[in-house]
Amino acid sequence: MALKRRAKQVRVIPGFRLTLGITIALLSLLILIPLASVLVYSFQLSPAEFWKLITAKNVLTAFGTSIVCSVIAALINAVFGLILAWVLVKYDFPGKRILDGLIELPFALPTAVAGITLSKMYSNTGFPGSFFSSIGIDVSYTHIGIVLALIFIGIPFTVRAVQPVLEKIDDQYEEAAYILGSSRTRTFWKVIFPELFPALLTGFGLALARGIGEYGSVIYISGNSAKNGTQVVSYVIMQKLERMDYASATAIALVLLIISFALLFVINIIQIRRAKRISLR
Amino acid sequence: MEILDEKELKAKKRTKYILIAVSVIFIVFLLVLPLISIVVNSLKKGLDFYFSALSTEYVLSSLGVTLLATVIAVIVNTIFGVIAAWLLTKFTFRGQHVLSTLIDIPFSISPVIAGLAFIMTFGSLGWASGIIDSINNALGTNIRIVFAIPGVVLATIFVTFPFVSREIVPVLNSVGRDEEEAAALMGAKGFTIFRRVTFPHIKWALLYGVILCTARALGEFGAVSALSKTRGKTFTLPLEIDALYMSGSADSITAAFAASSLLVVIALIVLVLRNILEFGVLNKKKKKGKDR
Amino acid sequence: MYVELKNINKYYGSFKASDNVNFGIEQGKLVALLGPSGSGKTTILRMIAGLEHPDEGEILIDGKVVNNIPASKRGIGFVFQSYALFKYMTVFDNVAFGLEVQKVPKAEIKERVHELVELVGLKGLENRFPNQLSGGQRQRVAFARALAPNPKLLLLDEPFAAIDAKIRQELRSWLKEMIEKLGITSIFVTHDQDEAIEVSDQIIITNKGRIEQIGTPIEVYQNPQTAFSASFFGHPAELPDYTKFNSFEKRDDVDKAFVRPEFIKVTKKTEDQFYKHSAVEGVVEQTFFRGDTIELLIKVNDTYITARRGLDEGIIEIGETVDVFIYRIFVTSGEKAYLIKNSALREESVVI
Repeated sequence: MALKRRAKQVRVIPGFRLTLGITIALLSLLILIPLASVLVYSFQLSPAEFWKLITAKNVLTAFGTSIVCSVIAALINAVFGLILAWVLVKYDFPGKRILDGLIELPFALPTAVAGITLSKMYSNTGFPGSFFSSIGIDVSYTHIGIVLALIFIGIPFTVRAVQPVLEKIDDQYEEAAYILGSSRTRTFWKVIFPELFPALLTGFGLALARGIGEYGSVIYISGNSAKNGTQVVSYVIMQKLERMDYASATAIALVLLIISFALLFVINIIQIRRAKRISLR
Repeated sequence: MEILDEKELKAKKRTKYILIAVSVIFIVFLLVLPLISIVVNSLKKGLDFYFSALSTEYVLSSLGVTLLATVIAVIVNTIFGVIAAWLLTKFTFRGQHVLSTLIDIPFSISPVIAGLAFIMTFGSLGWASGIIDSINNALGTNIRIVFAIPGVVLATIFVTFPFVSREIVPVLNSVGRDEEEAAALMGAKGFTIFRRVTFPHIKWALLYGVILCTARALGEFGAVSALSKTRGKTFTLPLEIDALYMSGSADSITAAFAASSLLVVIALIVLVLRNILEFGVLNKKKKKGKDR
Repeated sequence: MYVELKNINKYYGSFKASDNVNFGIEQGKLVALLGPSGSGKTTILRMIAGLEHPDEGEILIDGKVVNNIPASKRGIGFVFQSYALFKYMTVFDNVAFGLEVQKVPKAEIKERVHELVELVGLKGLENRFPNQLSGGQRQRVAFARALAPNPKLLLLDEPFAAIDAKIRQELRSWLKEMIEKLGITSIFVTHDQDEAIEVSDQIIITNKGRIEQIGTPIEVYQNPQTAFSASFFGHPAELPDYTKFNSFEKRDDVDKAFVRPEFIKVTKKTEDQFYKHSAVEGVVEQTFFRGDTIELLIKVNDTYITARRGLDEGIIEIGETVDVFIYRIFVTSGEKAYLIKNSALREESVVI
């Protein structure tokens, strides 16, 4: 086999070794080693034990609740994220800047504060909770409440994923389609939407990943009832921790981590593929 | 582009107003109403009650813990963020992509897992607890990590870890490496290059990253919740809010909202600053565009 | 006239993008709209296309007023500056798009697309995506896409601006040939006068929203009629004081004087100069090798002028004193421009 010879890479800018060293050291110390501890501990469980812990009825229900509610919330966020991004990029109207600024509120507002507020608002005595309960819809302490909280924390992800891409799309594409006789609806679905789709998918994935692991904003409005299936995964982990049931806690956490990483992996692949498409001028 | 077909023009206008209305209603319901609700709830029992609720021993202690954890987390993450951003954008190396993905981990995993991770590392079952014990024995100290202030600080650092680097990396990527390479070829040392060449490009992004990091550190709940069990000692403000709210009496719920209002004010300041920063950067870009 | 613009005015706020624009274009002609950036040439093109609407005036295509006809019904094809190829569609789908919109039967679309792809020389690349093509290939796809619905008028916005200099030349000739072959009336916008001269049958010069001059490339080049044309065409240099050069009569109404490199004869002291007593002395400050010629920057009485000499003529060194004779200049007076010949040319021809 031919020997591969590669010229030693020349780095003109100084600081490679130093920054690499510090970055890896801090990353390992603060993030990777603690996370590895979870892995190490959960690997000490026998497969049968592990299986038994994660297939306990309340655990499976919690995974079901977290995943289904997050998917529904992320889908709703994808739709509204697209609409909001469109409105913020394409139209001018009074108060637009305030609207744009507010999108980021869920990033800035502590999750616990959002949690107790939403819970209070949508309880039978709050506004608009009392209105919903008068028409027979209970929001707080139901799955609807969980979805609502997840929409709240997820909306910035989809809007901010789509917005910059939409801003960059040249008017020429719309004009080209218009001259060729395309209707506006057709232009949107055939020309603009395909450009936005990867970004929308990224936003959806980020909102989903955030939603599946969400804790603070959900636990008040969900009511955490095992009977009604309104416990989310994070809540169950916290519950196990409180009962010093570390075996269960780490086993559940491991599954949740795998789900998160899988999502992160898919999002990265989407972004890399997109970068490749765009990179050629 | 101007549309000539009157019917289409009408349809376009109609779409516009419908979409704007949908957006405004959505944002008002989802985001504005909760803000109003917090203010209304916190003032339910009058201003006197509001201020006395904010000045209880528990609230003041939790505020102190929160501020301490936030300051340390922001310092650590700012230093890390700048260094990591430099590494990821100024050099090309194997494993670059993996590294950048690893840095983003805290962004996409449950905060509860972050808390769990530190318990499994430093807690009684954790492999590092022996190390801490032997340090304590050797030095005669009584350092504890889990269920103590250091744990709270570590958890806060964990959840806000990528915030600063995430804001800087895209800016540096779009700027490229030419200027740094030019400076290096002229013999400038690393720190000089950073200070004179790189920093001016990233200062606004850095500031925004710091602001965002601060906001998230102040408000972190899940991770800290797993690591902090003593009200009045290791509780942060969000934990205190949780304790007040969960105690269930009407008075303590109002007190919970009063404490929340502090964090709302901070959140709003963050949003306003963000908009000012963005506006400033946009204006600068526009000016540059005109110069050309 | 196939395309006619009558008294077109167009405002963007207080900015007048088109100022009483009038012109007509005959069927089958390839016309260049030439002007500096911001001169209103693209606005004119976009108004003909139906992407913009004139505030006043009428646009006629094939004898019909099209002001209120939407772009897609005007029978035009448009090639965008950066092509605006749909990134998420293949070459085939891009070209087919306009036909699909018109609900043309599938078999017919297939036939027409293949015909066009072959015409533009991209056979075999139908399933490529735009980012898998070179700049030149992308332009060909844009061209094919514009032609697919069988337009009677082709509009091109800076068609060569996004292409490397190397293949630009090749594409210019290709496009000219292609348009001639198809016989389709075409208008293209450019800011490059060489491109306009080389490609078009007719040039329309725009400046500040107005039409300055219309004519064949030769007419426009040899007879600039307006102050702007004279100052724009043929790489002219301004002479601050043309009376310092011998044998030009002083006229009172002159605002500015321009000289083109080809109007200047430079001779070495050792060479014969027929109009020796009408020439002035100058010092060569710089020489530039331009491949087929040598360009000289000469200082004459504090004025810098640029002249050219052939490679076969004697070599001139920097610092050498030379004789400079100017055959003619363009002078402007208000909005008008005219040519002044060196009076030596007349007198001495009388003598001989």
